[in-house]
Amino acid sequence: MKRAILILLILSLALGGCATLGIGATEYRTVYSGELTTMNYLVTGTTAEQAVAANTVDGLVEYDNFGVLKPSLATSWTRSADGLVWTFKLREGVKWVTWEAKEYGDVVAQDFVDAAKYILTKANASRTSNILCEVMQGAQDYWDGVTDDFTTVGVKATGKYTLEYTLKEEVPYFLTMLTYVCFLPAPAKFLSEVKDKFGTDHKTLVYNGAYILKNFEPQNIREYVKNTRYWDKDKVHITKLTYRYNKEASTLAPEMFIRGEISSTGIPTAVLDAWMKDAAKKDLVVPALTSYYTYFYAFNFDPKFDAQYEPDNWKIAVNNLSFRKSIFHALDRVAAMITAEPYEPSRRILNTVTPRNFVATGGTDYTMIGPLAAFTKADSFKKTLAAEFKTQALADLQGKAKFPVKIMMPYNTGSSDWTNRVQVVEQQLETLLGTDYIDVIPVPFPATGFLNATRRAGNYCIQECNWGPDYADPHTYTDPFTPGSNYNWPELAVGYTEENGNTKYVNLVNAARAETKDLKKRYEFYAAAEAHLIGEAFLIPYGVGGGGFMATKLDPFTAPYAPFGVSTLKFKYQAMLKKAMTAAEYKAAQTKWETDRAAALKAAGQ
Amino acid sequence: MFRRRKAGAPLPTGSPATAATAGGAKLPSMSASEVQALFEFAEYDEQAGERTGYSSYSYWGSTVRVFLKNRSAVFLLVAITVLLTFTVVQPYLPGQKSPLKIHLDPETNYQLRNVQPCEEFWFGTNSIGQDLWARIWSGTRTSLLIGLLVGVWNVVMGIIIGALWGYVRRLDRLFTEIYNVMDNIPTTITMTLLAYILRPSLSTMIIALCATSWLSMARFVRNQIIIIRDREYNLASRCLGTPTSRIITRNLLPYLVSVILLRMALAIPGAIGSEVFLTYIGLGLPLSIPSLGNLVNEGRQLMMSPGLRYQLILPSAVLSIITISFYVMGNAFSDAADPRNHV
Amino acid sequence: MGIGPARLLLPGSGGRSRPRRPAQSMLAYSLKRAAQSLITVAIVITVVFLLMRLMPEEGYFGDGYDKLTPAQREVILRSMGLTDPWYIQLKDFYIKLLHGDLGTSIIYRPKVPVAEIIKPKIPYSARFGLAAIVMSLSVGLTMGVLQARDKGRRWDRVGTTYIVFINAVPAVVYLLFIQLYVTRGTGLPMLFDRDMPGSWILPGICMSLGGIAGYAMWMRRFMVDELNKDYIKLARAKGMSNTAVMFRHVMRNAFVPMAQYLPTTLLLTIAGSIYIESLYSIPGMGGLLVDAIQRQDNPLVQALVLIYATLGIVGLFLGDILMALFDPRIKLEKGEGAR
Repeated sequence: MKRAILILLILSLALGGCATLGIGATEYRTVYSGELTTMNYLVTGTTAEQAVAANTVDGLVEYDNFGVLKPSLATSWTRSADGLVWTFKLREGVKWVTWEAKEYGDVVAQDFVDAAKYILTKANASRTSNILCEVMQGAQDYWDGVTDDFTTVGVKATGKYTLEYTLKEEVPYFLTMLTYVCFLPAPAKFLSEVKDKFGTDHKTLVYNGAYILKNFEPQNIREYVKNTRYWDKDKVHITKLTYRYNKEASTLAPEMFIRGEISSTGIPTAVLDAWMKDAAKKDLVVPALTSYYTYFYAFNFDPKFDAQYEPDNWKIAVNNLSFRKSIFHALDRVAAMITAEPYEPSRRILNTVTPRNFVATGGTDYTMIGPLAAFTKADSFKKTLAAEFKTQALADLQGKAKFPVKIMMPYNTGSSDWTNRVQVVEQQLETLLGTDYIDVIPVPFPATGFLNATRRAGNYCIQECNWGPDYADPHTYTDPFTPGSNYNWPELAVGYTEENGNTKYVNLVNAARAETKDLKKRYEFYAAAEAHLIGEAFLIPYGVGGGGFMATKLDPFTAPYAPFGVSTLKFKYQAMLKKAMTAAEYKAAQTKWETDRAAALKAAGQ
Repeated sequence: MFRRRKAGAPLPTGSPATAATAGGAKLPSMSASEVQALFEFAEYDEQAGERTGYSSYSYWGSTVRVFLKNRSAVFLLVAITVLLTFTVVQPYLPGQKSPLKIHLDPETNYQLRNVQPCEEFWFGTNSIGQDLWARIWSGTRTSLLIGLLVGVWNVVMGIIIGALWGYVRRLDRLFTEIYNVMDNIPTTITMTLLAYILRPSLSTMIIALCATSWLSMARFVRNQIIIIRDREYNLASRCLGTPTSRIITRNLLPYLVSVILLRMALAIPGAIGSEVFLTYIGLGLPLSIPSLGNLVNEGRQLMMSPGLRYQLILPSAVLSIITISFYVMGNAFSDAADPRNHV
Repeated sequence: MGIGPARLLLPGSGGRSRPRRPAQSMLAYSLKRAAQSLITVAIVITVVFLLMRLMPEEGYFGDGYDKLTPAQREVILRSMGLTDPWYIQLKDFYIKLLHGDLGTSIIYRPKVPVAEIIKPKIPYSARFGLAAIVMSLSVGLTMGVLQARDKGRRWDRVGTTYIVFINAVPAVVYLLFIQLYVTRGTGLPMLFDRDMPGSWILPGICMSLGGIAGYAMWMRRFMVDELNKDYIKLARAKGMSNTAVMFRHVMRNAFVPMAQYLPTTLLLTIAGSIYIESLYSIPGMGGLLVDAIQRQDNPLVQALVLIYATLGIVGLFLGDILMALFDPRIKLEKGEGAR
């Protein structure tokens, strides 16, 4: 095979590096710069590492390319009347195979129980155990060591091919959680054979998914081949995946793509200008998907920083709504976003905390529900409003706070985008609001121990923060703002405590959480809570992660689409194009995909 | 030799008095008048006798004279002086922009990103619309400051420690120990910890570079001294009871002046180079403190876009000019410092 | 100079029968230094061990910190062996080490023995490193000699231009240029591939570029210094051929200061080159230490520092011996007349 590639490569070079030659239409090649530390999917919490399991180990359900939840290893499932017990009927005849493609055994219900036991065993130090503990009956007690009887935990094999989950309380989004790594199976026999070496390399894993990891040499190469015994192999179109390690991957990849050495590349902002100016290359630039990571500027209500930045003064200022709103409306988020996304920055701007297309009900996207719609439709950057609130704040705080208010803004020197952005924000805010009103002070912190030194320690006035979802429900985006979190302590804000001693926000969230039957109502409650958070300017919504641009020979619309879980990392369903996708083709395919998706969602009743 | 005779001083064999007597004794066949016609009797002068062997030769004077003969070195000396002066006075010149000010496009009100060098921005702008001209000079200032401070520190520490280490055998074990320990603690650890504890700043960078970089200079000097310390003239000196400090300063170091000068000249660009490398592994100064290191590193990421390469080439060019100047000057000065090249 | 030319005339010109240093005392000296070195390595390791414990706790969790409960964090730290007091950790580390166990990685590749991580990487770095040294030495020294002989004339200028260029342009810049344009021009692959002989060439050459400049520069410097010395003038005067003078006297003396560095350089080839290995995807040791430190994989850092420190110290010692071999006037241990 290698020789064949060699010959092909030489051939392609001989032909003047023609971009379409070199790789077969069913082989995907890429370079990456971050090496995996482990492939133990029962332990890791890192997306890149979970990608291995996403392609090699199937779970109960998976998302297809329209974001419709489909049966995978489970063929059907039922839910008890109280919504606590879920029973899954498993697909029969699915095999585990080793890295040499030898048969290892059948995939049975017990494999799911064994994997859960592994995750909940403290000594294995799994990073996803808390997710099981939160939903599964008895899981927390087992993990805590209150009991060592695993039969008390709510996951049981009631038959060879029947699996039963018992939940602590009703979880309307339980099915979507099953696409995450902590619900994947692993055979106990294999786990005990390899002991603590499970997932340290390609030989210490068994596979039941679309691909087998044939070779893994850290800092060098990772090769997957199609699993010929896969139960759904007709849906696997790419037969080989080759990952080459390169520390400078982001710099070299665009050039390698042009030379036909790899199948897709991100185009870093630094090179984007040049590609956009080059007539031939411009055509190959297509947008990359944004992620569900949300970014926002948080106002700190529990300032614990150095006296030189005047924490007491900040506390007075931040508790004034007009002061917060003056900054809320003064921040030009597009100007800030240009530092990360110079082309089409608005694509990544987000006016809410929960990203668009995360969940929807009755055809309405969550961000368009109730009071959230007003925020989604309008940009928060309004110069006149900012000036009005400034006047108001000056009047309110006269004699109470000292002006200019010092705004200490930490940034991570390890990120050049962030370093650039903080300078842009400083200049933009100070120019608009005046240096007699605020004094933005960017303070550099090293990447080492960054968040512990800044956000988590309350060592900031305003800081750019982010949060990613743990399951497909709006509740996941309330975590940073509820008591016990270490983001910006909105519970300490003055004037929001209600009769029961909780803040208004907490009460709104609790009400939403209690609504488990009617999804529409549930989302409306969450939307009200989120609108309160934004409307009272506890934070400034900023943007979503991901994005940027790429050039690719993969058809991006064949890839699984999901708000959460590991389905999006799958190469199953994906198809390669003969030539790189052009911008025009992308537009057309996108329109078609959107129509098809609407139909598919309707058909699935989601 | 030539000089001495020309100066009219007696030959350096013995005192003038004995020479005269001996000369007289050895020429019995010559009449006194014949001798007188050829020679003139010198007046005995004790002071002149003491001057024996001395001339108007001045070591540093000759060094400078030889150095000045090297035209390219002199040219670079002028260049670097001009550069140094310019970096210092640049912010005070009229019409200069701030290296941190972000320039906005009057039409869109967003940043003027990646503007090619033009009349308004002589060196163009960077990815957030900051003036590269101002940033490069500000960066040069920062880097030269780092280079000079660290370079001087290296030379001072290196020579003191290196000379003691090399010459005083009793100290050899101790210093070797210290060297081995310090040299083997990875810089990444000390840099990371320093940045973590002191936060990223210029002084952190200087402290971190000073902390370890003198080691190699010390080792170098030590090796040089070990090579010559047991040569006969030192042995003789020791036998005559010359104190150690005098042997080091009078016998050993002058011998090493030329190589040490070269090292010294290279220490400054070396320190700047370390800064570039540290920036590469992510331990450099933040972009809000421009330095040649982070300017080059920022430019490096634009390498693949020919249109933006000015952001790499311009800071690299300044960096190269500094390095070349110090290198060529160092070599020329080191050549000039060798007395054997003075004739 | 107060030296009789006759004594200096002969360095290295053979026919010397006088054993300046009895082998026995050399052995004693070596043993003493070996013992000393053990202590040094132990100090280095202990210091590094303690320094790594100063790193912030957050670093052990990567990006996932906020997604973990405090209890989970505690468990993860315990699984990494970081919850014990530092002196217990240190004791455990040394006990393991005495049993020949370098430890197990905790972050870089959790649960994988450090030795297993390092072993496949060393040959890559060593091979490239050795090739680079051979090339740097042969080309660099030749260049230095040529330059010194041709001082101030054409070859000297060519060589100096090269040296100046290599020293002046940041390596991070010219290496990227070379990779980009040389592969484009010659059809060599951009990345290293073990099975493609062609892909070995460019990284190998790149790795020696700096070395060539370094050796040439110092060779030239020392040669120029030596050539001015009286014994050379005498050797010339008595009719020795130019080549003989060069090789038997000048080179040998000029090589002495470099000899000190040679063993260290050779031994530390296994450390690899950070930048070149990164550029060409060579799975060597290059960025391993920096990576391990930044990710706070303590056992891996400790093991690497142990290896590098041992090699560095052995190198320094061998360097001293080599230096003494090249120049018998150098006395390492306390001898007659020494201070």
